[in-house]
Amino acid sequence: MKALILVGGFGTRLRPLTLSVPKPLVEFANKPMILHQIEALKAVGVTEVVLAINYQPEVMLNFLKEFETKLGITITCSQETEPLGTAGPLALARDKLVDESGEPFFVLNSDVISEYPFKEMIEFHKAHGGEASIMVTKVDEPSKYGVVVMEESTGQVDKFVEKPKLFVGNKINAGIYLLNPSVLDRIELRPTSIEKEVFPKIAAEKKLYAMVLPGFWMDIGQPRDYITGLRLYLDSLRKKASPKLATGPNIVGNVLVHETAKIGEGCLIGPDVAIGPGCVVESGVRLSRCTVMRGVRIKKHACISSSIIGWHSTVGQWARVENMTILGEDVHVCDEIYSNGGVVLPHKEIKSSILKPEIVM
Amino acid sequence: MEKVVAVIMVGGPTKGTRFRPLSFNTPKPLFPLAGQPMVHHPISACKRIPNLAQIFLIGFYEEREFTLYVSSISNELKIPVRYLKEDKPHGSAGGLYYFRNIIMEDNPSHIFLLNCDVCCSFPLTDMLGNFPVPCKTLYTYQYDSPNINQMLVTVEAHKRYSGMGTVLVSAESANQFGELVADPITKELLHYTEKPETFVSDLINCGVYVFTPDIFTAIQEVSTHREDQANLRHLSSFETLQSPTSRALPQDFVRLDQDILSPFAGKKQLYTYETMDFWEQIKTPGMSLKCSGLYLAQFRYTSPDLLAGGDGTKSASIVGDVYVHPSAKVHPTAKIGPNVSISANVRIGAGVRLIGCIILDDVEVQENAVVINSIVGWKSSIGKWSRVQASSHIYFAGLADAQPYFSRPMETTTQSSELLSLVREAVIVEDEVVVINSIVLPNKTLNVSVQDEIIL
Repeated sequence: MKALILVGGFGTRLRPLTLSVPKPLVEFANKPMILHQIEALKAVGVTEVVLAINYQPEVMLNFLKEFETKLGITITCSQETEPLGTAGPLALARDKLVDESGEPFFVLNSDVISEYPFKEMIEFHKAHGGEASIMVTKVDEPSKYGVVVMEESTGQVDKFVEKPKLFVGNKINAGIYLLNPSVLDRIELRPTSIEKEVFPKIAAEKKLYAMVLPGFWMDIGQPRDYITGLRLYLDSLRKKASPKLATGPNIVGNVLVHETAKIGEGCLIGPDVAIGPGCVVESGVRLSRCTVMRGVRIKKHACISSSIIGWHSTVGQWARVENMTILGEDVHVCDEIYSNGGVVLPHKEIKSSILKPEIVM
Repeated sequence: MEKVVAVIMVGGPTKGTRFRPLSFNTPKPLFPLAGQPMVHHPISACKRIPNLAQIFLIGFYEEREFTLYVSSISNELKIPVRYLKEDKPHGSAGGLYYFRNIIMEDNPSHIFLLNCDVCCSFPLTDMLGNFPVPCKTLYTYQYDSPNINQMLVTVEAHKRYSGMGTVLVSAESANQFGELVADPITKELLHYTEKPETFVSDLINCGVYVFTPDIFTAIQEVSTHREDQANLRHLSSFETLQSPTSRALPQDFVRLDQDILSPFAGKKQLYTYETMDFWEQIKTPGMSLKCSGLYLAQFRYTSPDLLAGGDGTKSASIVGDVYVHPSAKVHPTAKIGPNVSISANVRIGAGVRLIGCIILDDVEVQENAVVINSIVGWKSSIGKWSRVQASSHIYFAGLADAQPYFSRPMETTTQSSELLSLVREAVIVEDEVVVINSIVLPNKTLNVSVQDEIIL
């Protein structure tokens, strides 16, 4: 089987992290976001992944080369020279996706994190016999999204309603599709939307089916959702009793600590914390609801909550970093500094407190 | 040698303060600066005057509030210190006059008069040094602000020029003080204006004086003159309406500044002595933090044994000037200073960081908490990894009960150079909570972070 991952552009919503690496390579729970998807695809027998990308394909390919051999999976890029929307990249990658097997292929939005129940999706697809399957997920505020109106018992999709003012349903497109190759015949090579132009036509022929995604779902394309997504992901690990979760007297709730990270004495870590490789957390540090990327040093008695600490940054002694503070790569927060929602671009030194959320250029 | 006495005006409970009468358990003069009651600093300065016979504290606080302090300081200094309670406010000159018989018991040649709420190095002996005895000069002591040239009016000036007093003066640009003009050569006080609206002079009255006993005659003259005027006014109710301010003053209420300095200026009665040292008026909690720091810095020269030391091995790391009461327990992994004063029975936990703050009696600061530019009030508790802070150039008090002492409410506007976060008595800041630029009134438990707020 094959899969196409829609990587897209600059990842501006996740800046300043995406100023240093392409968005799919930003670690989520100590693993680049895109590897979560590639590993899940490999597990259900996908042998070739095509990345639809329009920015820095070399960086991506260089990085993914080692995983090709490690995972035994072929990874190629299909580069857009102009933005082609959500359907155009499928037409562009047509030759890579179609082969003599005639098997359906996956299409994933790279920002989406979930338990990736691809096996169930394949079974669902085979069972309904239609042309395309999409995952939908239940949300609290459907008016903010494109709602999928479906027949509840069979999953047959009736229509798509973009940002409905009146309630028509609470299931939204989760950005995970399984499509027969014939769907490609419906897509022209031009900027076009799969939700607005392709799926409605398939739905009209009653060949589009929706499956409610079991487990959690989150679009982690921006910092607040990234932090929420980590909580959901770690909850999911807990339910599976994953041995990856840290244990110990200094751990509260769900915490990931990379095996090469060092944690000092008298710390209190968690809940919902990920500590990356090579990090040094000195004694008396408090971490909660945060991600600490590779090579970070958190000095004594610092306190971090609801924040992302970018690669190789340092947080000084008695510093306080909280409320959606996002530190880019190689940022240094001096001793005793307070950051309330500071968004700091790479390679900066923070010498005075940030009392209100602001961007530090 | 002739004897000298000192009088320290301590005032009384502040009226019209928004936070009164909330838990007002220590009078302002006993509020600790550099770990010592505010009034202790002028008293220590008086102790250094040769031939000092007695120190009087004059105010209208209840006598019992000062009983304990007065008896312990008398024993410590081996000098009688007495608290004299006014039946009502008489003004600083009026208060002095009211107790003239007691003050003159030892027949002193000179009387020092100090206000308790000024913070300076009190160069009293220098003020006296140049005072020709006996003479009729009222000395003003002038004091220097950081930017401007300060002037202290001392007894030194007092002895040099005949007159009834010397005023300590200091150079300041602010117009919220009494401004005065002095003769550059003779140092005579030529003109005095209280809080002028326009520029008069960059010399301000420091509230530190030395007088000959002639001052009592001067006060009596003012008082008698006012009585005459009052009698006249009985005849004309129209005139009473014309000058409501002077009418409002009772005959025995005599202010030193407007009623004595102003009319006696330019009459070869009053001289000035300029101080080049620090001078501040302690009106707000923010100023109390700054003044605590100034006094701690002065301890380097006057009482180095009061300053804490430590490098983090057996005792906590100490940075700059820090006072720690002997009964306080500070964990060796804590880092304290600069400008920190820690009062009795305080417990400072492991990994705590304190910068620029006053920690009052019985406070507990738990592990890894941070307190910066703040006052933490009696019996309060600061939780683990919590933070009470103001930014570096802003004075910020947390968890303190000091607010009622200071007439000006805390302001977050730019006109004020101070922004206080004040956490008052018996306040509990729970673990990991952040308190920024806020005032927390007594007996509150804070379980969420606050910024720029007054928590009632």
